[in-house]
Amino acid sequence: MRVILANIVAIYRRELQSYFASPLAYVVAGVFWLLSGLFFVFILNVTIQRVAYADASGYQGAIDAPTQFLQSFLGILSSIALFVLPILSMSLYAEERKRGTLELLATSPVTNWAVAIGKLLAVVTFFITLLLPMLVYELIVLTATNPPVSLSVILLGHLGLILLAAAVLSLGMFVSSLTDSTILAAIFTFALVLFLWIIDGVGQEIGGWIGAVFANLSLLKHYNNLAQGILDSSSLILFGSYIVLGIFLTAQSVNVFRFQRS
Amino acid sequence: MIDVEHLSKTYGTTAAIEDVTFSVEPGEILGFLGPNGAGKTTTMRILSGYLPATSGTAKVAGYEVHADSMAVRQRIGYLPETPPLYTDMTVESFLHFVARIKGVSAGDRAQNVESALAKTSLTDRRKSLIRKLSKGYRQRVGIAQAIVHDPPVIILDEPTVGLDPRQIIEVRNLIKNLAGNHTVILSTHILPEVGMTCNRVAIINRGRVVATNTPESLMAQLMGGSGYELEIEGDIDAVQPRLQIIQGVKAIDRLMAELPEGRHKLKVTAEAGTELPGRELAAAIVGAGLGLFEMRRIQATLEDVFLQLTTEEAPLEADTEIDESKEPIESGETTGEAG
Repeated sequence: MRVILANIVAIYRRELQSYFASPLAYVVAGVFWLLSGLFFVFILNVTIQRVAYADASGYQGAIDAPTQFLQSFLGILSSIALFVLPILSMSLYAEERKRGTLELLATSPVTNWAVAIGKLLAVVTFFITLLLPMLVYELIVLTATNPPVSLSVILLGHLGLILLAAAVLSLGMFVSSLTDSTILAAIFTFALVLFLWIIDGVGQEIGGWIGAVFANLSLLKHYNNLAQGILDSSSLILFGSYIVLGIFLTAQSVNVFRFQRS
Repeated sequence: MIDVEHLSKTYGTTAAIEDVTFSVEPGEILGFLGPNGAGKTTTMRILSGYLPATSGTAKVAGYEVHADSMAVRQRIGYLPETPPLYTDMTVESFLHFVARIKGVSAGDRAQNVESALAKTSLTDRRKSLIRKLSKGYRQRVGIAQAIVHDPPVIILDEPTVGLDPRQIIEVRNLIKNLAGNHTVILSTHILPEVGMTCNRVAIINRGRVVATNTPESLMAQLMGGSGYELEIEGDIDAVQPRLQIIQGVKAIDRLMAELPEGRHKLKVTAEAGTELPGRELAAAIVGAGLGLFEMRRIQATLEDVFLQLTTEEAPLEADTEIDESKEPIESGETTGEAG
């Protein structure tokens, strides 16, 4: 057990190191921060204007501006992530296959599981690093509101975002293990994630029990639950299942592909 | 240390290797020699646990490579055809990473990396990014990653390919120094390399091992190739019977050559395992009143052995066969001889 843990840590550290040495990772981070920063300011302004407008028009009811703001912003973040995540996951295995380093890993006393888990943890860590500045912005704004927004709501929303990302990255890792082309991996991951994103709408169109199954597989639906501060165990289980499925399929596909002529 | 029995690997209907059997004693260097596509890489991949065999068994240090994969993986160092390198890492951090995943304990890691760097003469490049290294240095990093955990068995697939002549000599010396403490299998299509570095040779052709022996006795077995080449002036038909009766002479062939009027070139081939009496040959020629202009001993080379073994099987297509198998040898020799 300790050996496996040590292996996971070794893979994790190497992988993380390569993100911080990769120009692509910095470009992705830059674009992510730029876009999410712009949207942060934009959504903040819109929310403030809306409240001002409601005040001016003599609206008597209560407007929960901070929560509305948080939800809109988390929604936007998840949409940006939809584009960013396939780029983060595309090279996880495709690059190893291209460089031939998969042969090193496959002939080292490391299990496929340990490799996949280490890689996934590393890429999720990188994504969390991307989120940290956003979390700081939010805390600055939302603690200034009166009454302040509960910290647990903010954290739950971000936990949802991280779980969503982990699920997408896990599936992306599997797609990446199928090819030695990073571009193909990114495109197929994007298509797959897009499908899982909109499957909710598809399910509603179909209706019946098949529709219900589809709707429940939707990433967006479960993410929205968490973003609204609703801690539903079924959402956690869904994301957990996607993560485990991705790791499982990756470990299997690495085995299968090794046995074919390369 | 390594026992391979009746190993076969088929891809669909094509057999990559068939019924391969050989063994390597501890501390020995076995050279795996064969033309390109003969099944060298497949055999090595099976030994390293990367590929499963279709049938047969392969044991490394007593462990079956597929059933006890993890135990085997801990005990081997493997350099694939293309060195598996993380090009965004420095040499040192890459070796540290490999040591870690090969299960070298934290206390020994720094020392192991240090000695691998020293053995491959990479100490002054330790801080370089692998991406920025030349092919020769990358190959050395590949060898360093195969020995960093000090494994009892080292498998090297074409370790000298793509190196310049000086580097080839360095790598060969490095491999020779590994013998004794380590059991080494290396594959190559370069003939002189085997004679220089290996204790034993396994010649593989079309997925089958056609001979296993020491380089010297392989050549001795086929001493038939040795003899003398003679340049003679005069009536050679008169001297031929006199040469024929000399003990050990197997055949006399006339060689085509551009020679002055009246001169001829003969090749006298010895019977397997015998040494021709040069003095008697010369005496017979001079005694018959002919002029002897040149007399040169010819030795069977590993190349002859190799060609003989790898072309014997299908004599009908001998011509095409020779061409096929000769190509890698020639390209190999140029690299080898340049050094």
